[in-house]
Amino acid sequence: MELPNSSIQQIKTKINENTSFLDELGESVSQRCSKVQKKLNAFISFDPQFIAEQIEGIKNTVHNSKNLSLLGVPFALADNISTSEQKTTCASKFLATYQPPFDARVTSILKANGAIAAGKTNMNEFGVGCSGDSSYFKAVKNPCDTKHTSGNGAAAAVLTGAVKLSLASDALGELRQAASYCGVIAIKPTYGRISRRGLLDYASSLEQIGIISNSTGELAAVMETLFGYDPEDVSTLDAKVPAYSLMLDKNTNKIHAAVPEDWSDAPYLQDHIKILFQEQINKLEDLGIKIDLISLPHFRYASTAATIISAVEAFSNLANYDGIRFGYRGEAKHLQEMYTQTRSEGFSSKLKKFLTFGSLISTANYYHDYFLQSQKMRSLITIELDTCLQKYDLLLTPTTPFTAPKLDHPSPMNGELADPAGFYTAAANLAGLPALTFPVNGSGLPFGLHFMAKRENEIELLKTALLLEKEISFQKPEFDI
Amino acid sequence: MQEFETVIGLEVHVELLTKTKMFCGCSTAFGASPNTQVCPLCLGLPGGTVPELNRKAIEYTIKAAMALNCSITEEITFDRKNYFYADLPKGYQISQFFYPMGTGGYVEIHLNGSTKKIGIRQIHLEEDTGKLLHLGNIISSPYSRVDFNRAGVPLVEIVTDPEVRSAEEARLFLQKLRSILRYIEISDCKMEEGSMRCDANISLMPLGSKEFGNKTELKNMNSFRSVYKGIEYEVERQRNILLEGAEVTPQTRHWDESKGLTKAMRSKFVSADYRCFPDPAIPPFDPPQEWLEEIRESIPELPDSRFTRFVREYELPPYDAEVLTGSREMADFFDAVLTLYNEPKNVSNWIMSEFLRLLNSTNTEISECRIKPEDLGELLNLMDKEVISGKIAKGVFEEMFASGEKPEDIIKKKGLVQISDENTLSKIIDSVLEGNPSSVEDFHSGKNKAMGFLVGQVMKETKGKANPQLVNKLLKEKIEK
Ligand SMILES: [Zn+2]
Repeated sequence: MELPNSSIQQIKTKINENTSFLDELGESVSQRCSKVQKKLNAFISFDPQFIAEQIEGIKNTVHNSKNLSLLGVPFALADNISTSEQKTTCASKFLATYQPPFDARVTSILKANGAIAAGKTNMNEFGVGCSGDSSYFKAVKNPCDTKHTSGNGAAAAVLTGAVKLSLASDALGELRQAASYCGVIAIKPTYGRISRRGLLDYASSLEQIGIISNSTGELAAVMETLFGYDPEDVSTLDAKVPAYSLMLDKNTNKIHAAVPEDWSDAPYLQDHIKILFQEQINKLEDLGIKIDLISLPHFRYASTAATIISAVEAFSNLANYDGIRFGYRGEAKHLQEMYTQTRSEGFSSKLKKFLTFGSLISTANYYHDYFLQSQKMRSLITIELDTCLQKYDLLLTPTTPFTAPKLDHPSPMNGELADPAGFYTAAANLAGLPALTFPVNGSGLPFGLHFMAKRENEIELLKTALLLEKEISFQKPEFDI
Repeated sequence: MQEFETVIGLEVHVELLTKTKMFCGCSTAFGASPNTQVCPLCLGLPGGTVPELNRKAIEYTIKAAMALNCSITEEITFDRKNYFYADLPKGYQISQFFYPMGTGGYVEIHLNGSTKKIGIRQIHLEEDTGKLLHLGNIISSPYSRVDFNRAGVPLVEIVTDPEVRSAEEARLFLQKLRSILRYIEISDCKMEEGSMRCDANISLMPLGSKEFGNKTELKNMNSFRSVYKGIEYEVERQRNILLEGAEVTPQTRHWDESKGLTKAMRSKFVSADYRCFPDPAIPPFDPPQEWLEEIRESIPELPDSRFTRFVREYELPPYDAEVLTGSREMADFFDAVLTLYNEPKNVSNWIMSEFLRLLNSTNTEISECRIKPEDLGELLNLMDKEVISGKIAKGVFEEMFASGEKPEDIIKKKGLVQISDENTLSKIIDSVLEGNPSSVEDFHSGKNKAMGFLVGQVMKETKGKANPQLVNKLLKEKIEK
């Protein structure tokens, strides 16, 4: 069977028609993943034996599990999402052999719904950034051009059909940026929609688990399954989860979207993205979407504010990596020396710079000038976006100012505080709003259109994505596996 | 000689009587073997999220804040206090740094017949840390082991204004604080077991000065007595330094109970900068008004108002009232006796002498005592009705204390009912007079002592059950005839 071309529904139907299809499925997933792994280094953990065991497990219980929403669907988790049956390394030397004692909430939900865990995907160390160059397990290559980064393994695994869906974290836009680099759909839901229990997060107030998929309809089905209140995570929303799949079919009112008037001021914005984005605006207008240019004076400061806040939170969130109870431990005679050795040797120099920065700006001296200012900026941006989205259904921008950077030249950064890749994405994290990236294919590498919607209004994003999928004869980017 | 004024501020930590820890379901029971009451969350393993907040812990803190006359914060928030130490699993302590649960309260103490208010600067909720275990002392021990059973146990910290002026005031304050916290049943406040701990910030300034001198922080005082002795010692030490014209070094000092002195302690942390910031994983929480009202209504009559009532309504001497209201159990016991036997002074006398004597000599807590208030009331009634004599009653009371039996039952079982029947007594007296002619002669020759001997003989014949007044009356009549 051709896994990449089978839908979630088709997989389910085939299993229910004949359970022997499961063997074929397992085989196909293993082969596909191993090819993708060989060519792109998308996975940190991938074990055909583990896939085979899960296939056996489903076979033995299939008579009770016919109606499971994700029966037989292969998925991948970024390696900062806890799995009790596989290592969870955060792409760090510190956790290179760490196996958590519990499953993340999302891991348990996917398992309970009959999905197959294909592997753990590669990423930047601890999910900080999307440059693709800070993994202890080496960089992930872009399926469309292996000289370029794919941002993370999660997006590459979905584009290449190694898995049907993958989950990864998004603190400043990492998930959406990688999806943009690889030409897949990704959603970062409203803050609190998905439990963070078991996510090894670095920036708790910004970070959410997001979903990557090739199809809007399937994305909707997965959202229904994963969203919901979790008593074990006080930051989850206690709100009803809409039946997205049913709502998708309903007719939409005319969509009214806003674009920040200074969208083209983004540093390092590539000329061809400028042109492509303008073309897309015209196409959307042709589809009947009304688009206004509006003033959002604080939007441009989002990624800097988010970087400062995330650095402070990361410094604190990663303080438990001390070598005492788990993970890497450096050789030392005394406690203080042990901390120093453990953290010096266990973390990459890039991560250490980031944590040192967080440590510095959380001291009393800098707290007011940097951290507090950033929190104030966060409030301003939140108010600005909430007000804008009172009037408009969507806020539209490019997802990234550039297409996937080259592996040997990972980021165009030039001494800036914030990664320029997060220019358009970080605001959604600051305000906790839902955001979706939808792929656009030009002649070169893919890039994404970025939509933000009102809090808890993910349906607006899905309807828009579905419209684009139908109307702009959506074609997957070309790749060779 | 120059005179100084002592300035003391107290920081009191109290463990709450919640069954579970602050952010997980682990037990808080005292005395379990090391690391048997832990889970991935309180061990600070990666991927832990904060679950629904421990409502009981918040309720208890609010209750304490109300009982200490504090105003309650409008929004409940938690902050992180970041520092590295082996007993701190997450690398930060969750506390209420920016907005304590309560502020601006006070406690009244009775000192030399007058009342003094000690200001409560703030009261807040935080989590306890683990405990380091060493072989012998920390320097020579070949290893450090950590017990995380206490890590995450909810603690309340109460900070006074620098208004305590002497060791005696400190002791009175702590006793009153313990009494209040026990009245509202939020902590057992056992200093010896560490469920109540007190640190004192001590400084001296020239009498009449407005500027505080350098202070030392005194730790490791494990009883009310050692708080008193430790402060006395430290004040004297500082006075001597100042009299020599030298300066007090600001530092943390340890009270050494066995040597009876304070010692400078090496600081645990290199920097005093705790890098506090709002916990990014715990959203702020507005306590509902009805809930606050419920908590306020659950606060019983507190020691101060009970003291006033006992003095005013029952006309008890202040000393008696102070002792009786010292613990809620004792005051409740007293009030309960009065519902059956409304002679406050009699009841007070009985409790202050017989009851306290038995409690102290058997080292029994009133809560464990087998005597019920209604039984004491009944005993006093039986005495008033002259069913038994006061002397017999004391014996019966001891029996009640030991066995928990009702006074009527003991009296019946042992045949202790007072003999008040004139005929019966007449016969006994006649036989005593007959059997002791020499004493009758002595009496007639003016030796009044003989009368006492004869009464004693009657009591002996009746095993102490004879009504003493009646015996006196009858004997006099018969002998003088
Ligand atoms: Zn626990």
